[in-house]
Amino acid sequence: MSEKHNITNIKKRIDRIEDILAAVAAGDLDARINSETEDDLSGIEAAIDLLIDDLTDELKQREKMQKEVEDKLSKIQEQQKTIVQQQEDLLELSSPVSKVWDNVLILPVIGTLDSQRTQIMMENLLEKIVETGCTISILDITGVPTVDTQVANHLLKTVTSARLLGAECIISGISPAIAQTIVHLGIDLSSIKTKATLQDAMIFAMRQNKRTDDIKLQSLYINPNEKEE
Amino acid sequence: MKIDLHEKRIPIIKIGNYLIVSIQVDMHDKLAIQLQSQILDEIEKTGAKGVLIDISVLEMVDSFIGRMLSGMASMASIMDTAVVIVGMQPAVAITLVELGLEMPGVDTALNMENGMEMLEKRLREEDNETFESH
Amino acid sequence: MTSDKNWEELGRKNLESENDIVMARQLVRHYAKQLRMGIVDQTRVTTAVSELLRNMYNYAGGGEIKIFSGLVDEKDALIITCSDSGPGIEDLELAMSDGYTSGMGMGYGLPGAKRLVDRFEIQSKVNVGTTVRIIKWR
Repeated sequence: MSEKHNITNIKKRIDRIEDILAAVAAGDLDARINSETEDDLSGIEAAIDLLIDDLTDELKQREKMQKEVEDKLSKIQEQQKTIVQQQEDLLELSSPVSKVWDNVLILPVIGTLDSQRTQIMMENLLEKIVETGCTISILDITGVPTVDTQVANHLLKTVTSARLLGAECIISGISPAIAQTIVHLGIDLSSIKTKATLQDAMIFAMRQNKRTDDIKLQSLYINPNEKEE
Repeated sequence: MKIDLHEKRIPIIKIGNYLIVSIQVDMHDKLAIQLQSQILDEIEKTGAKGVLIDISVLEMVDSFIGRMLSGMASMASIMDTAVVIVGMQPAVAITLVELGLEMPGVDTALNMENGMEMLEKRLREEDNETFESH
Repeated sequence: MTSDKNWEELGRKNLESENDIVMARQLVRHYAKQLRMGIVDQTRVTTAVSELLRNMYNYAGGGEIKIFSGLVDEKDALIITCSDSGPGIEDLELAMSDGYTSGMGMGYGLPGAKRLVDRFEIQSKVNVGTTVRIIKWR
């Protein structure tokens, strides 16, 4: 082998190394030098191939991980959507207003009250009052752990609005903790009829009912002018 | 009676001891003031013992109309006539309360029937009191 | 005030008589309904407009109302601007305090309207005029 031939050969091989490296840099991870000759340069060539192998592995792993993360993220987003949807459903469901007796509506409230929920609750109750024509409604908050100023104000607003419609709203089931908070917050609930338990509220409502019935009967059968004689 | 075509007048109907007013139009302020004096005039003329004001079709009551209504109730009350506001819509009630107009001392009823019962009850209670004091 | 680029103007109305107040608030109700706002929010925003327009009519003798829909802080909103070229308000803080009235027997007007909407912006210059912008989320 002549010296010159040898040099051109080496130059070719170096060119090939350059080409391969350029291909890898451009993203072709399958490119390899795969040298068949055995000499000093082939060691370097083999080492470069190995490096490319390692790099390929690394990149593939990263891609896989990224895909996994993306999958998980979309799954989480999906779940979040469901949660929001369920929360909205829950908001609707969590204020069931039912007519339990002639002229009496009950709205049992369970769970933590926030401003938005109280707002929806209030609108539901008032709509129902107008719809059914019931003049007494009981807002039972036995299942409510705490109230803050805002929620207490919403409750107050509900009762006042109900009065403007021409209906009475009683709040029952005020726990010691809530009573303490209300007084500490300086909220004046004195204008509101409150009862300790739902049972007390029911009894009150029935009495109120009976009174109106009595009055109706009275006006039907007894003329006050005749009563005196 | 002279009818001015440019002025919407709200009719006031008398039934027995009571006057019934049904507000069917979105009132501007002048019309609200006019209605107030119209009702008071009618109370004097007929000697009505109670007034039912139906606002069930009103989609909005602002502070002016709100104060006209509660003022009306106090004025009528001095003339010994009870006023009941009937049929306020829930959205209107919520808005009024948020506005700061809770209308204390104004009697309200869900519907005409309830309103009528309230007036009857009040009238009878007064009758009973008169008898007891004699 | 918040910028008004990219807002769609829905309607406007000049305020010259008391009857215009009635028409303007019916216009507001109409667009609030069209934007699918709930019945209580419709009533709130209509009532707030009624309060503002009455103030404008009583103190400035008239003015103009413009109704927009658009994005405010990346949320869909109904935006209403009421402007007049009246005497202006000298002490805004006082005018915004509850129960304040300058003799027309109001005292619910501005603070009342503020409570009914999600955002309330007011600008006033004595002898130049007053502009109030109210924003309600949809």
